[in-house]
Formats: sequence, structure tokens, C-alpha cells
Amino acid sequence: MKTKNKFEDFKPNWVLTIVLILGTITVFFPLYMAIIIAFKQPSEMTNDVAGALAFPAKWSLDNFKQAMEVTDFWNSLGNSLLITISTIVLSVLIHSTAGYAIGRAMARKKIFRIFYLYIVSGMFVPFSILMMPLVKQTAQMGLGNRLGVILLYVVFYMPMNVLLYTGYLKNLPLALEEAADIDGATTWSAYWKILFPLMMPMHATVAILTALGTWNDVMTPLVIMSGTGQNTLPLAQLNFQTQFGTNYNLAFSSYILALVPILIFYVICQKQILDGVANGAVKG
Amino acid sequence: MSKRKITGRRAAALGIAVGLLALTGCQQDGQDHRVQVELVSYKPEAVAAFEKIAERFNETHTDIYLKVDSPNEAMTILKTRFIREDYPDIVGIGGDINYSNFLDADLFMDISDLEELGQVKQSYLDIDKELEFIPQDGFYALPYAANAAGVLYNRDMFEQNGWEIPNTWEEFISLCEQIQAKGILPLYLGYKDTWTCLSPWNALAVGLSDSDTCAQVNRGENTFSASYREVAEKIRTLLDYAEPNPYAYSYNDACTAFARGQSAMYPIGSYAIPQIKSVNPDMNLDSFTFPANSDAQDNVLNSGVDLQFCVMKNTPNKEAVYEVLRFLYQDETIQIYLDDQGGLSCKDSDFALPAELEGMRPYIESDRMADYQDHHYPSEMSVDAMIQTYMLDTSDGALDTFLTRFDTDWARYNRDLIQKVQQYQKEASGK
Amino acid sequence: MKTKMSSRDKTFWAITIPVLVLFFTFNTLPMIKGFIYSFTNYRGYGSYDYVGLRNYIDLFTDARVGKSYLFTFKYALSGTVLVNVLALIMALGLNSKIRFKSALRGIYFVPNILGGLVIGYIFSFFFTYILPALGNALDIEFLKNSILASEKYAWIGVLIVGVWQAVAMNTIIYISGLQTVPREVYEASMLDGASKWREFWAITFPLVMPFVTINLVLSTKNFLMVFDQIMSLTRGGPAQSTESISYLIYRNGMDGGQFGFQSANAVLFFIVIVAISVFQMTVMNKKEEQL
Repeated sequence: MKTKNKFEDFKPNWVLTIVLILGTITVFFPLYMAIIIAFKQPSEMTNDVAGALAFPAKWSLDNFKQAMEVTDFWNSLGNSLLITISTIVLSVLIHSTAGYAIGRAMARKKIFRIFYLYIVSGMFVPFSILMMPLVKQTAQMGLGNRLGVILLYVVFYMPMNVLLYTGYLKNLPLALEEAADIDGATTWSAYWKILFPLMMPMHATVAILTALGTWNDVMTPLVIMSGTGQNTLPLAQLNFQTQFGTNYNLAFSSYILALVPILIFYVICQKQILDGVANGAVKG
Repeated sequence: MSKRKITGRRAAALGIAVGLLALTGCQQDGQDHRVQVELVSYKPEAVAAFEKIAERFNETHTDIYLKVDSPNEAMTILKTRFIREDYPDIVGIGGDINYSNFLDADLFMDISDLEELGQVKQSYLDIDKELEFIPQDGFYALPYAANAAGVLYNRDMFEQNGWEIPNTWEEFISLCEQIQAKGILPLYLGYKDTWTCLSPWNALAVGLSDSDTCAQVNRGENTFSASYREVAEKIRTLLDYAEPNPYAYSYNDACTAFARGQSAMYPIGSYAIPQIKSVNPDMNLDSFTFPANSDAQDNVLNSGVDLQFCVMKNTPNKEAVYEVLRFLYQDETIQIYLDDQGGLSCKDSDFALPAELEGMRPYIESDRMADYQDHHYPSEMSVDAMIQTYMLDTSDGALDTFLTRFDTDWARYNRDLIQKVQQYQKEASGK
Repeated sequence: MKTKMSSRDKTFWAITIPVLVLFFTFNTLPMIKGFIYSFTNYRGYGSYDYVGLRNYIDLFTDARVGKSYLFTFKYALSGTVLVNVLALIMALGLNSKIRFKSALRGIYFVPNILGGLVIGYIFSFFFTYILPALGNALDIEFLKNSILASEKYAWIGVLIVGVWQAVAMNTIIYISGLQTVPREVYEASMLDGASKWREFWAITFPLVMPFVTINLVLSTKNFLMVFDQIMSLTRGGPAQSTESISYLIYRNGMDGGQFGFQSANAVLFFIVIVAISVFQMTVMNKKEEQL
């Protein structure tokens, strides 16, 4: 399963590769359907299996163009990017630091263990119960806007991310910080210099999970920023659905467009998780 | 990792924090000296029509600026705005339980002094009156557009086979038999999206029970077991003439199937026509009133207010708001809306009837219409799901189980309301 | 040494306090308000009255609520087990010496990003048309009817989609967990000539144990809070057999006028999940220490 030694390079396990490639059918089949629907016209929609799986009559980018117009694509994309990226950066900085402080302190101090459980338990609060009070509260605080949405996300993902970071820290030996202590570094600077970079794989994981949650979220921006005239992509995509009719073709092309940025981001983060090994954990 | 990288990161964090602060700036409306009237419409599909209407209004008015907002998920947005106490001036909503609730929450203004109310068809004024939990003095909504539900049918198919539009329940059943004998599916139901169960339910119920059944029950004068028995029996009969296992097919599947000629009829409202036509733009379809009774005289068309305007109680610009309503109620303005959205006008004036509703003409012209009964059902009671459950229940006692549950659940979900209604009655009779 | 430690503690306090304040303001405070509403008949707007414990008493007599708890637990239990087994296998596979590693990791991630509308349409089509067509062609009785239309099996349809979507996230966490296992450990075991199977149980598994805990807690929570799949696939049907707790809380509390009652439901639900998770974490922590 692992290399016998670092220098003996790569002999790929072909059997496993083939099994995993076959497994991608479970992903490609639905994706294939999504793509052909995105290219079809509403008049090509049918309940007949062969017809539904057939290629569109013509491959034209019209649906994509129209979907971009309907959703005011570049503006909505800009808002979505702004909200998602700000949330990720703030989450990685704040949650990792909090996870570190609470995780390290709770080993010796009971009160921090309580803080830990307090924050983690926040994960289980159904959003529906928070929603109405939050709408009022954010409005009163002047946060019924994009900043409010970002702040709420930072709070919503705090429980999960603190859980992840403290879990990861368990595998990072205390000796690392003690060594820095002896060198006279403060806890604060030792954290940023030594531990923060070591947590790279977890930063990437947190970034992906947080990004996923915020990128597709409809409810929070819907109730918090409605009336500001700003849209995120998922909000704009609601345009394709009305009470008694859905334009699946335009909707699907729009969803496919929205999928691309997050997929690219994921691939970048994956690389970070892998790189993390090379300069990180093992050396500890 | 180097030290430089970390400080770089801190700088980035600071930069973001500063950037975020800039985002909180409020937006401004540049409509200088005019009085602004804000209308929130719950129909995002009509956004083009309202843009056109607002443009016309603003061209012709120098003192008032009309701003129309047609957000997606408008009901959620309206509720959150009410929580924030950020009220628009006018809301365009449907005549359904939300209207009853908002009215009960004392959000709307009495607009009895608006002369346009005199031009509304009487049935729609009655429908809105019946939506009041507690009878109110005055009027709180200006009915604008309506839809109608019954049975949509494939006109080409009917003409080819010489089938006639049925006028009674017996004729309807024998028509279904006739169609079935031809090897064609008479009905497509698409009961997967539970709410679709309500469509034939409503169409049957208007003919078979009183339009104020729910109010009668709230006053303690009637039970659903008594008034809905026949409705429940007949809706089950439809299953014999529809696609097998209708719970597998969604609204969208049913629209597509009907558009593709897989069934001759589809018991749904006029609101489904755009979706059907998107699949088959050339489809030749028409509709008829659901013949729920054995005597054609007893049949009633199921029609409800699809869009009406209510004025928020605390609007500071009553005069400007009334000016907007007067403009909206001009024939030319209504025509803009109808051209875009189809459906019926609530105003008693000569508007062309859409070809797809031709078969309902006699009922519309003689004003023989009653509201969807589900407009009185609280949505949390999920009557649609109860009906679906009943139809899936194949045991002998299914009908009684369903009707009993309807009565007990009704009492449970409307507890506060029933108490309020009976309190009101006591006070009214005491006077 | 003593002064040193206290400066370390000071830093911890300095970090923790602002975080707690932020968390309190935007999570606990609104929750307290929600808790207060649970004693009212608030509809979400307009006026309301305090009704004492009525909502809580109703909770325990409402058959629909009871049914939703049963469904949710059945769903969460099956989902958690399935997802964790699959995700661990996937993570091991995607972390070993294979070709096209990045591409494969990217592809398996896609289910997690597809929106509800896409998932709903495609899987409904799959269950309604493709599987029955297959069932008829191969004469498999079970597949002939759409499982989403069956009161008995609809939850399995929802489960399949839920698992399909959730595996990606848990796989990512397992992969990042596997990265913490030092390579030298394997090298040592190779010398001992341990079999792959034994190597996994004796070395890999204990080392990724903290990640098993995290994944169990997260996936239990996610499955208990199932909402999106229900909205896009069944909307609680057929015959109200797939109404989850979150679905009821949202639908009746937000769309319907039961905000007060559903707030009570949310409070109860919160207590139940916290209890389950604390139990899970305590048990798992013991396990982690043992290993």
C-alpha cells in the first residue's frame, strides 16, 4: 500500500487504478445527464429513457449565454467569490487559532474542555430556529448585507472547523512548541511559525469543506441580504424555478457554470493536502 | 514555512477586514424629489410585465416613482422583511392562507375608499371575504388576476376521436372508459410532488361542498367527515383511469407526458399551461370545468385569486399608493399583465379569454366560480400529503381513517384559530 | 517555568475570549431567542401569546413528529455506517499508488458540489424511469416500480443519494488523516513482513482514529439533519414516509405558521443530537486512548 522506501519510485497499482476508474461511472453518468440537459431545448425534454439519454439536437452554447444573462453571471459570481473567499480566509485564520488555543489548553484545564464542547455543540443547532432571530438581529446591527453573511458563515462553520483542528492537533506532538519555548519564542509566535504551517493539510481540508457549504448555500444570503440588490449565484439560480414551472435546461447550464470555480479550487486544495506531507507531519 | 510568508498572511487578513468594512456601505436610491412607492410582487415569472408597467407609470408621473420588486422566494423574503419591520408600500400576493394570516396579523390597510373596488367581479370579492378568519369590516385586497383549474385536454385528440366535453360526473366516467377502450390513457396525475394531489381535490370539492366549509367547521357547524366524503370517494375513482403508480411521477413528468400526448386529459390548473407549452409549443389544448356532480347545474368552476394587491397598514404615502393602484387597474395596464402571464382578469371588463380556457367560458361569464379549498388549509397541516397517504392506503377502512384524521388534525392545527372564531361568535351573538 | 506557562495560558485566554464572544452573539443569542419562542404560538410575524409548555406537550403526542424521529434515526444510522466504510475504502484507494490520482480525486468530489435541483431531477429520473426500465428488461420484480414511490423503500432511495453525496467530504477528511501517518511506520512494518490487512488494523487504523471520531460525529450530524435530499427527491412523500426532523422544522416552522411549535421541536432535536454526539465522542476518546 505504501512505498517500501522513498527512493524506489512509483510502480502504480493498476488493478486498483482500474477499479477506481470504473467507479467513476457513478459520477459520470449523472454528470453526463446534467450536461446533455444543459445543452438541450425545453422542447427536447421527454420522459422516454432513450430520448432522455440522447444527445441534444444541436450543441450550441445558447443556453449558457442565456443562463449567464438571466443570473447576471459576472456580478453574482463576484459576490459568491467575495463571500466564499472571505469566509475561507477568516475561517482558516480564526478557527485554526481557536482550535489550537482550546485544543492545547483543554488538556490541562477543565474550563477549556467546556468551551470546546460549547462551541462544538453549536454544530447541532438547526438553522431554522436561528433564522428569524438572526434576521432581526443582523438588521438591527446593520449587518443585513454581505458582511453579515460572511460573519454568520464564520460562526456557523466554527464548530465543525474547531473540531477538525483540535482533532488534527492531537497528532502534532507538543515537543514542537516546547522546543520553541526554550528558544524564547512566545506561544503566539511559535504557533504562527511552527504549528500553523504544519497544519497545511487541515487548512486545505477546512477550506474545501467551508467553501462547499458557502458556495451552494441559498438560505443564509436569501434571508440576510434580500433587499440589498445583491445576488449570489445560488440566489440568482432561483430564477429558473417558479411555483409552477422550472426551466431545467437553463438551470442546468447555470449549475454547470457554477461548478467550475469550486472544482478548480478543490483541485488546488488537494495538492496542498499532498504537499503537506512532504514538508510537514512526517518530520515531526 | 518562512517568516515572511506568515506576515504576508497577516497583512492579507488585515486587508480583507478593511475590505469587508467597505461592504457595509448602504445603497441609495437616486429618485430625488419623487415619492417612492415600493411594490413587492410574489410572482418572479411576471417580472417582465411589471417592469413594463413600472416604466409606463414612471413616464407618466412626475411626482411618484414606482419601484417594483419581484424577488424569488418572495414569501420568505416578505416574512423576513416583516420581521425586520422593513415594510414595502404594496404587496402583490395570492389570495390564499398567507393573505388570511397577514390580514389576521393586522398588517394591511382597509382600502374600502378605493373606487376601483367597484369594478371587481363579485365572485373574487366574495372569495377574499371568505379568506378572512374573523369577518372584517371593509376591504383589504384588490383582486387583480385569477387562474382556473379543472381538466386540461388535448383538443386535437378529442376532435380526431369525436369525444365530447362531459358535463356530469357520469359523462366524465364514461368518457374515461371510452378513451381507455381506445388504448389511450385518459388521465395523467403525477402525484409525486404531493401538492399535485390537491388539484383534482380542489376541482371536485368546489362542486361537492360549500365554499365556506372550513369556516363552518371552525364555527363548529360542520365536519369534514360529512362534507368531504364524496370528494374523497371520487378522487380515488380517478386512479382507475390514470397512469399506474402515479406517486412515481412528478408534476414536471406529468406536464411533459401530457404535452407529449401520453394522456388525453390532465386535471390541473391553468397555471400549468406555460410549463406544458415549453415542452410542446404547438400543442392544441383547452380546458373544461371539472364535472363533479350528476347534475350539471351544480357544477362550479374552481377559480382563485392568483394575484391581488394589498396596501401595508403603515405606508406613509396613502395617496401615492392609491394612484399606483388606480394605474394598475386601468384596462391597458391589466392587458399588459395578461398578455405576458395569461389567466383571467379579476376586473369586470372585456378582456379576451385565452384560447386554453375557452371551454370554461360559460362559467366565467356567468360568474359561477368558487375558490380553491386548499387556500383555507394551513400549510403545516400538509393536507396534500394526507390525501396522498389516503390514496396509497389500500385497506378497507381507508376512507374513514382519512376523514377522521382530517377532522382531528384540523382541530389540532387550527386550535388557536377555532378558539378565536368561537370567541368572536360569542361576542357577536352577545351584542 | 511557572511564569512561562502562565504567559502561555494568557495567550490561550486572549485567543479564546473574542472567539467565544463572536460565537455567543451569532449562535447562542439567537438560539436563546428561539428557545423563548418555543413557549409561544408565534407564527413568525405579527403578535403572539405565551402558551406555557403546550408546545412541548404537543411534541410528545404528535404522531407525525414521532414518525419523523424514527425515520431520521433509521436514516442516520444506516447512512453513517455506509458512508464511513465507503469513505475509508475510497481514501485508502485514492491515497495509494495509483495512476491519475489528482483526476480521480477531482472526479469523486463532484457529487458534493452538484446543486439540489440537479440532484433532484437526475436521481428522480434514474429511480422513476431508468431503474424500472432495467427491472422490466431483466425481470427483477423489486426494480419494476420506482422505489421513490414506495412507502417502504423510498427512504433507501434518499439514502443512496445522501451517501453518494456525502462520501466525498468524509473521504477528504480521511485522506488528510492518512497524511499524518508517518511513512517510517510502514517501513518498519514492512520489515516485519506484516500483511496488508494486518498492517491496516494494527498501524493505519489506530493512527487515523482521531479522524474516525471526527468523521463519525460529522456524518452522524449531517445525516441526522438531512434536508436537501428530501427537498429535492421526495418532499416527505410518499404518504409522509420520508419526513425528516429538519424537513418538518423548516417546512412547518418557516413556510407554515408553526414557528413556535417547531422551535420547541428544534430545542428537543438539539438536545437529542448533542446527547448522541457527546456519547459518541466519549466512547471514541476512550477507544483512541486504548489504541
